[in-house]
Formats: sequence, C-alpha cells, structure tokens
Amino acid sequence: MSDAEYTLAEMMCVVAAREFPATGVVMAGMGLPMITATLAKMLHAPGIAICTEVGAFDWLPPAELSRAPVGIHDINLNHGSAMVSDMVDALGTLLMGGNVDLGVLSAAQVDRFGNLNTLVLGDYREPERRLGGTGGNTEIACMARRVLTVMPQERRRFVERVDFNTSPGYIDGPGARARAGLGPQGPNAVVSTFGVFAFDTPDGATGSCEMVLERVFPNMDPDIVRLETGWDLRAAANITEVPPPTAEELTLLRRLDPHHFYLTPGRY
Amino acid sequence: MGASKLMDENEAVARFVDDGDSVYVGYTSAAYGLCQAIVRAGKRDLEAIGGSVGPQGTFLFMGGCANRVRAGYVAAALRPGIVQEMMADGRLRFEDYSNQAIALMLMAGALGIPFIPTRSFLGTDYLRPEFRDHAGGFLGAGKWAEMESPFDGEKVVLLPALRPDVAVLHAQRADEEGNVQVWGHLGDARWAYWAAKKVIVSAEEIVPRDVIAADPGRTVVPGFRVSAVVHMPWGGHPSSLVGYYDYDYAYQARTMSRMTRSQGEWEAFAAEWIHGVRDRAAYIEHYREVFGDAALDALAVNAGPSPIAPVRYGYNSTLRFRME
Repeated sequence: MSDAEYTLAEMMCVVAAREFPATGVVMAGMGLPMITATLAKMLHAPGIAICTEVGAFDWLPPAELSRAPVGIHDINLNHGSAMVSDMVDALGTLLMGGNVDLGVLSAAQVDRFGNLNTLVLGDYREPERRLGGTGGNTEIACMARRVLTVMPQERRRFVERVDFNTSPGYIDGPGARARAGLGPQGPNAVVSTFGVFAFDTPDGATGSCEMVLERVFPNMDPDIVRLETGWDLRAAANITEVPPPTAEELTLLRRLDPHHFYLTPGRY
Repeated sequence: MGASKLMDENEAVARFVDDGDSVYVGYTSAAYGLCQAIVRAGKRDLEAIGGSVGPQGTFLFMGGCANRVRAGYVAAALRPGIVQEMMADGRLRFEDYSNQAIALMLMAGALGIPFIPTRSFLGTDYLRPEFRDHAGGFLGAGKWAEMESPFDGEKVVLLPALRPDVAVLHAQRADEEGNVQVWGHLGDARWAYWAAKKVIVSAEEIVPRDVIAADPGRTVVPGFRVSAVVHMPWGGHPSSLVGYYDYDYAYQARTMSRMTRSQGEWEAFAAEWIHGVRDRAAYIEHYREVFGDAALDALAVNAGPSPIAPVRYGYNSTLRFRME
C-alpha cells in the first residue's frame, strides 16, 4: 500500500486525531480512543494531557515510541507519564472530581442521542450476545465535559436506540442529562469510518440533541452513510468533505500500530 | 523482624483460599501463577472479583472453581464460547459493575464504611430495576441503591462496601514479612490490598526488609496485613509487569486463544499448563522446553525509565529545641 492509499479505518483514526482540542485533560479509553489520542498528542495537539483510568497521568509519548498502548493497562504508559497512580485517583479524583475536559470513547453501539453500549447485544436478560463490559466507559461518559466517540460505521452499530445504555450521551433528548443528575456535556462528536458527526446541542439542555452528519470522507456519498445508519439521519445543510490523510499522518499512524491491533488490514 | 510468611503457592492456596470464598484476582497485578494454583487445588464455589477480570479469571471459570463474578469487564465474556454459555444458563452468575465501581467498593470495604456514594451509572440502563434484579445475578437489591443527598438533594448511587475473603496479587517485590512494594500504574490493586480479609502476594523478588525500609514510599501494604508471600519469578506471565516483562501475546495466541471454545480445548490447555506443572517454576521450565529460552528472554523489558535523581528520606538526628 502506498502512502496515497489508505483504509477507512486509518482515515477514521487520522480524522479523530484532528478533532482533539489544542489543550485540556483527556481521558482516553481502550482501543481506538488510545491510538487516536496518541496520534493527536504527537501531531496536532501537543498541549493535551493524556490520562488513563488505570492510573497514568499526563502521558508524553517518548519520541522513539514503538507502539501506541495496546490495552489501557499497557505498561509502556509508565514511560513518559508525569504521574502514575491508581484507579481511584484516575477515575475518582481526576474524572469524578470534574477535571476531565475530553473523554474519548468507543463502543459496540451508538445511538441518535450519542448514548453508547459496551455490555450486551439484545435484551440484557436474554442477550443475543454478551460483550466484555464497560470497564471505565460509563464514568467517562457520565463525567467528561466533552466526549469524542470513535467507532466503525455499520447499520448494526449506529442504531436508533442502544440495546443497553451503559454510557449516557444525551439519553433521550434535551434536559435528560440534568434530570438524571448529570452535568452538561458538549460539544460532542462522533468520528466513524465514513465521516464526522456533531450533535444538535451545545450542552444537552437545548436543541434536539440528535446526531447530525457534518462532514464526509473523500468520495463518500452521504446516502451511503444513511444506509449504514439505523435511523433517519439528519445532515447539515452543507456537508463538506474532510481532506484525505497526509503522508505524515499515515506514516505515524502505521508506526503506532506495528502489530495491527487497531487497524486490521482489509477489515474496513 | 516479624515471622516469615514465605511459602510456596500450593501451600498458600491450601491455607488461605477456602471453598466459597470471594477472591479478588487482580488487574495490573494479575496473579496468573496464584490463580493457576487455585485451579490445581480444585477449589470450588468461589466468586471472582476485579474491575476487569482477565484470563486469570477465565481459568477459575473454566476450571470449575468460580461460579460467580463481580466485575466491570469480563474478558472471557467477549468471545462466544463456554463462558458465555455459562453466563446464559446460570452456571456462572454475574453482577455487572464498572471498573470505577469495583475500585470504590473495595475502597469502602477498606475504609470500614458500609457503602459509598458515586455519580457512576446515573443516566444509564444499569439502574433499571428489572436489570438489577436479573435472573443471572446473585445480589438483587444488595447490588446498589439510589438516593438524593441529604445535604444538597443531588442524585447519587450508593454502592455497597466490598471486602473480598481473599485477594491474590502479583507484585515486583516483597520481604518475608509481607511488606509489598509495587510501582507503575496500579489499577484497583491498592484498595484490594486493604479491603481483603486475607492477602496472598506473589513477588518477582524477595528482598531483605532493609531494601523495603530504604524506600518505604513505594510500599503499598505493610506485612501485618498480608497472610502469605510467595517467591514467584514470572508470576504474572503471560500478562506484563512494570520493569520486568511485557505481554506474551504470542503465547496467548498459541495456547490460550481457544481455551473457552470447548471443554476439550480447555482440558488440553489445563493439562499442559496448569495440572501438568507443580508450580510456577515448573511452568516456566516447561515454557523454555516448548518455546525455547529465547522466547522467554524476548519478553524482558528493554525500554522505559529508571529514577535519575536519588530520593532521600532524610531527617536531622540531632534536632535542637533551644538556641544555645
């Protein structure tokens, strides 16, 4: 594969990395969130402080980093962190204490209000399939001031309503977070293998709180995105096209995933 | 110096793990060697506890040792296979929490308080009563409760304190009395050391107490809280341990990736890697025979920091209380 060619999964990671703010405390979940956070920190957003639920605080990836962390407890997170501690400090003091600006998450399902499901497909009491479980996903969705979700676009994953809401976005519309006892959240975003979605609300209090297609990947027809979305997807008035990955982005991304833990060739 | 608590893993499990116990099985300090000793000992009716219960917990499920799990993540549930079937038909009962919830419940247990309030689970489906009282569970109304804070009316979820009967953990080093030193990110281990009624620690190195006392800030639990100490090089394999070795993904792919597919696959794995070895030293010896010394050596850490500036815990031994 030449640098000019790339997979949709690679494009997803590259575009998600561009979505990071310049500064702020970031808590990245396991999997795609961690590789996109690593890419963001090394390329576009050196000012962010990457933290993990396991207890790494303000991780500065070493210049010679040989892989993005594989799993959220990869011991290479102890190389370059300003502090390492435990889960009560990370998920408790840092996150629940209100210190996380951006949570980066992935899940098996996302719905039109940005709720995530990490636990079970089908009815919880008689599931079609159980998943591993939520890990730290739930509390990051409850408490981070903004959430960026990174996950492949498929009709069975982008659903009208998640089978089980493990991780609240806007729940069922405006005001729902406040009624549940949660703080405001936003602006949130979702990056899939097809494009970038925003939500019709700044904070969950006003607007419809629905996911809206905002930008698409090069040569991606918005109708294809609709086809792989399980509800009547709204789109921005002027859908723009995201610029393709640069050689620098692709080279670094591939270096960060030498064993194809994140970007299985041919998967997307 | 206190009495030595040093013993081998088979003795530690025989003395301190009882049938029916709830067992914290570790996460970043995943006690693979100790969990395999539990399977070898044929313990029964255990409950596995951890924020994230990895393959070391799978050993307990597949080995018939544990029939309950309380966790935020169960690695074995991710793949279709026997463990999913066990969860569906009631052979393995489960209560789904989150990593943070388990850590807080252990913390509450350690603090001696009956419950701990949190904003975890607000706005989620976890709190729906029909899911709390699910047929696959074992806690019912004892799982959690919701209330409004008596001080400001804010909604909170109350999680019950958790005091596991026993915790099994793997550490970088300990002395014979059970003073344990761990470094690197800790996951939920810190509070498990303090919440559990009995603590069994396996350590890569057993060091003199002088080594511990020269750097006491690194100690996560004092020996008086520890029941048994096991000297166990490679005790976390095939997981990783900060400063010692990294993940052995090749071994996992070769030997463990199919162990939940069928009872036969499990028994073949267990016969070779659990029942076929008397202890962790024999396990490592067998590993060297099968895969060669180079495969094991290749797991050793070869990057990452060590302290550059020395740390001194100094004080003044001739303190004056009045000007001469």
